[in-house]
Formats: sequence, C-alpha cells, structure tokens
Amino acid sequence: MRIDILDIDIDSNNIMVIGPPLVGKSIFVRNIVLEKVSGGSGGIYITTKDTAETILDWFQKFNLNEIKIIDCVSRTIFSDAPDTDDIKRVSIMDLTGISVRINMFLERFWKSGKRDVVIAFDSVSTVLMYLNPQTVFRFLHVLTNRIKSFGAFAFYTVDENMHDERTIAMLKQLFNGVIELKDEGNRRIFRYVSPSIRTEWKEFNIVNDKLEVLS
Amino acid sequence: MKIGIPVLDDLLKEIPRGKTLTYYIDPEVEGDVFGMQTLYRNLEEGYRCVYVTSTMSPMSLRNRFKEFGWFVDDFEKFSIVDAYSSYVGATSDEKYVVKDPTNLDEFDEVIRKAIDENDLIVFGSLSTIIDICGEETLTYFEKWKKYAENSVIVSNFTAWPYPEEILNKVKDMSNAVVKIGGIHHRVILGHYYGILKVDWTQVKGRAVLFKVVKPGGVKAYIPKILVTGPFNAGKSTFVHAISNKAISVDRLGTTVALDHGKVEYKGFTIDVFGTPGQERFDPILRVLGSEALGVILVIDSTKPETFPRAKQLLEKTTQFGLPYVIAANKQDLPNALKPEEIRKLMHLPEDVPIIPTVATKKIGVYEVLDALIKLLIGEGYGKSEGAT
Repeated sequence: MRIDILDIDIDSNNIMVIGPPLVGKSIFVRNIVLEKVSGGSGGIYITTKDTAETILDWFQKFNLNEIKIIDCVSRTIFSDAPDTDDIKRVSIMDLTGISVRINMFLERFWKSGKRDVVIAFDSVSTVLMYLNPQTVFRFLHVLTNRIKSFGAFAFYTVDENMHDERTIAMLKQLFNGVIELKDEGNRRIFRYVSPSIRTEWKEFNIVNDKLEVLS
Repeated sequence: MKIGIPVLDDLLKEIPRGKTLTYYIDPEVEGDVFGMQTLYRNLEEGYRCVYVTSTMSPMSLRNRFKEFGWFVDDFEKFSIVDAYSSYVGATSDEKYVVKDPTNLDEFDEVIRKAIDENDLIVFGSLSTIIDICGEETLTYFEKWKKYAENSVIVSNFTAWPYPEEILNKVKDMSNAVVKIGGIHHRVILGHYYGILKVDWTQVKGRAVLFKVVKPGGVKAYIPKILVTGPFNAGKSTFVHAISNKAISVDRLGTTVALDHGKVEYKGFTIDVFGTPGQERFDPILRVLGSEALGVILVIDSTKPETFPRAKQLLEKTTQFGLPYVIAANKQDLPNALKPEEIRKLMHLPEDVPIIPTVATKKIGVYEVLDALIKLLIGEGYGKSEGAT
C-alpha cells in the first residue's frame, strides 16, 4: 500500500507505530487514515484515549465524515452516550466486545464491496494499563490474523517507554512491520522497517494537525 | 432452570439444579447475549437470578439488556455482582460488590453469598476473570460448582488462544458446553451454535445458525446455499442428489424458476437453491446471493465453451464475498476435463476446491458439500464430546 503523505510503500498488514510519548503517534496514524479514507478506502478508528466525539471532530476538521469509530473510553468512564451506526462504544475491559465490533464493521465493508480498509488502533499501551500483556497478546493475535485474512492495513500505536523490553518484544512478534518515531530534540524523524523494506530516517513536522514530511 | 435459547430448549429441555452450562464462544462472535438470554428467560419464570459483570459497568450492563428489550430492573429478583467498578476505580451501589476483582478470595466470598441467595448465577465473562486473576480462577470455579448444589451456574467463556490445558479444563469442568462459533471467510459471514457436551441427557449433535436481533436476542435461522452454473450443467440433478427432499419448477425439461432442496447433513439443516442457467434469469441471482452463505458452481466438465458463462455466474453470485466450491460434473463422460485442467482454463486460484462429480450417480456430491462446509466453519464443529 502506498502512503503518499509519508512517501513510502507499506508491505505489511499489521504495523506497529512505536515512539516516545508526545512524539505525535496519534496524529501520525490519523493522517494516514485521513489520506486513505479520503481516497475511497474504508476506515475504522479504535480509540482508547479519546472519546468518539473527539476523534470525529478531528476528522471533520478535514471534511471527513466517513469513518467508523470504536470508542473504548466512554463506557470505561461511565458515560451512557448511545451507539450509532458508525460509532460503537465498549469498555476497554471488554476485549471480546472490541473484537466483535471490529468484525462487524469489516463485515459491513466486505458486503458493500469495499476491500481497501485501513484501521488505526490508538493505543495498545492504554489497553496494557488495564490488562496483563499475555491477555493483550492473545487479543491482538486474533485481531492481527483477522486483519491479514481480510487484506486490510492496521496501525497500532505503542508508547515506547511505558512497557518493559519483554512486553515490546512479545508485541513485535505480532506485527510484520514497524514505523519507528524518534524525537531528537529539535527534530522528529521516522522510518518504516519490515522484513523486506527499511526506509531511510525521514524528518517530519506537524502543523495544524497535518503531517509534513520534510526530507 | 430454562435455557431460553431456540433449539437448545428442545434438545436439553432444562438445566437441572447443581449443574453448570458453559457457552464456549469464538472470540470474534457476539456471544455474551447467550448468558443474558438464559438469565432473562429464568427471571420471567420467577427465579432469583444474578449476573456477574467483569467487563462493563452495571449501568452499561442494564443498557445492554435493554438493547434486547429485556428490562431486568422490572424484576425484583434480579441482581448484579459488580466485579467491574472497583477495577476501574469507581464506587458501586449494587447488592454484591467485589471490592478487589484481582483477589480470588474476595471473589469467592461474594460468589458464595450470591449462590446462597439465588437460583441462577450467570458469569458474564469467565475468561475476563481468568485474564485478571489467572488460571487459579478455574480451581475456584470448581469449588463454586460444588457449592452450588441447589442452583445453576451458567458462564460465557471467550475461547481466546489460551494454552490447550486451560481450554480443556473449562470444557471438562462444565456439565454442558455449547459452542458459539463463527462462519469464517475473509470476514465472519454468519454464526452458529451447537452442543459439544452434555451429561444429563442424550442428544444428537446439531448445529444451528443464528442471528442476534435487537430487540429479541438469539434467533435461529436456516442457512441457504446457492447452486448455480451454465445451462444443462446438471444443477437440478445435483440439488436432487444432495437433498433429502427437493422440488423443481420445470418446463420442457429445464429449470425455468428454481430448484429447492432441504439437506440434513452433519447436524446442519440447509436450504439449497438451484438457479436456472439462462441469462434472462440472472436477476434472481442477485436476490439469492445476498441471502446465501455459500455457492456451489456446477459445470459440465466436457464443455469448456461454457466456462466463460460459468465465470460470469460466479462473479454475479460471489459479489457479496461468499465462499464457493466448483463441482466438476459429468466426469463419467468421455473427454471430461480433469479438475486441474478446469482450474487452468477458468483461471481459478489454487485454494478454490474443484471436486469431480457425477451427479446422476451421486458420486462426489457430498465431497462438494464437505468442502463448502469446511470453507464456512473450518474444522471447528462436528467433533462432539458427549453429544452423539
């Protein structure tokens, strides 16, 4: 899959987007989803940090309404905001509920003939705050297989410094591609690494929530 | 106690006191509704019922019941064991509260009290308790099972890829296990349930397809399989060959409307629809294809000139993403092409099953059905462990 905004080609279905806190991982994946969905792909955003309304507002700033959202925040903080056709809410503790709703959206895309689908899971680190790594691993094992079977592309954000090396190593087994983000003081850089592709480090900037690759 | 699930009510009659029933759920299938439906049915019967929630707040749980039209708060005999709120740092006003859901001893105290005071206890997610408290949960569950000699325990268990030992233990310690599975293709096209095990009655293993309806809950339905193919490929003969009962609407020896057969096979009851091969009937394909779960394309192996039409029919019927199998028919005739020759001529992917058949002699027809069922549900159902 070509991602113009990053000027790279992705050859993996399940991609970990890893970097230190505040480097811009969420904005990074939102920009990828924005590009692909604006270009006609189906889009699913699984949010564990912001409510559906916050995510929807962000995309609507760029005139994008056609996004499916799985909100794992509202129910966790005891909100009784209702579900809609495009927004499903589930507690972050309910991994089965998350899995079922992802499949429901995928099934809808499939039956409507939409085969190009991009998914953001933002963020795996929040799930790891509530549940142990083995539980999260089992959940992601099922999810990554489903994404691969469908032929979709999914991006999972992970906070680099929040977890021990063993947890990161365990998670990496699930993903066949990684986008690494780094903060080098006065500049932010990224690169994509998979078994067959390793791009150069590229500098990026975020201006008014839009991603700009500088080199 | 009642089960409250279509077909299971007829097969299992009821759950005797002192027994446990586990809904063993595919991780991608909406299965928690099964435990909820069993609970609601027994509330209606006047029993005291309690629901253990570990994955959602009591408020979300009540709203979830309401989605199905089940107003549990109308029943005085309904209560909740809240094993969620404390975990996310909230307080709770429920009758039973587990103050530290990571502590099995505390869980034990609350669950025993709930068992003492209720006829039915439903664990909303046994797997979540295992995830939080570890494998030792199952030792406690065994104790609760023994303790509940005058009540019934029902649990929803999501079968994540746990070690085999845990999965087997969950099945072993339950008196009855009902598998809730998904029909996997590139996405999950449908859902089914079937009895894997039961020790209080003898039942014949049977799989039931279901839909979750809001309001309403679990509703059983009969799956449809579409048999299509070019004119005179042998579709009607094929439908009759696999069906226990079949009718055709014929004129001048060819089908002008539909073949319809009912197949009882491997615990499934399946409606089979054969479509006419002529192009003027193609609009019917769109209607049938949107409701079907799989497609059997019957081709005349001696007539490669009809293969382009066969491909066209395949494209029309599989536009909804349905899995399909090719029945390479008329293999008893001279010049019949072999499956691999057909694959090459029709440019079919390697993973599409092409099964040689002679529908007039029922040769290969059940292999076609087997191949399609395997595509639909994998190897997941059919190995009964107590159901016969």
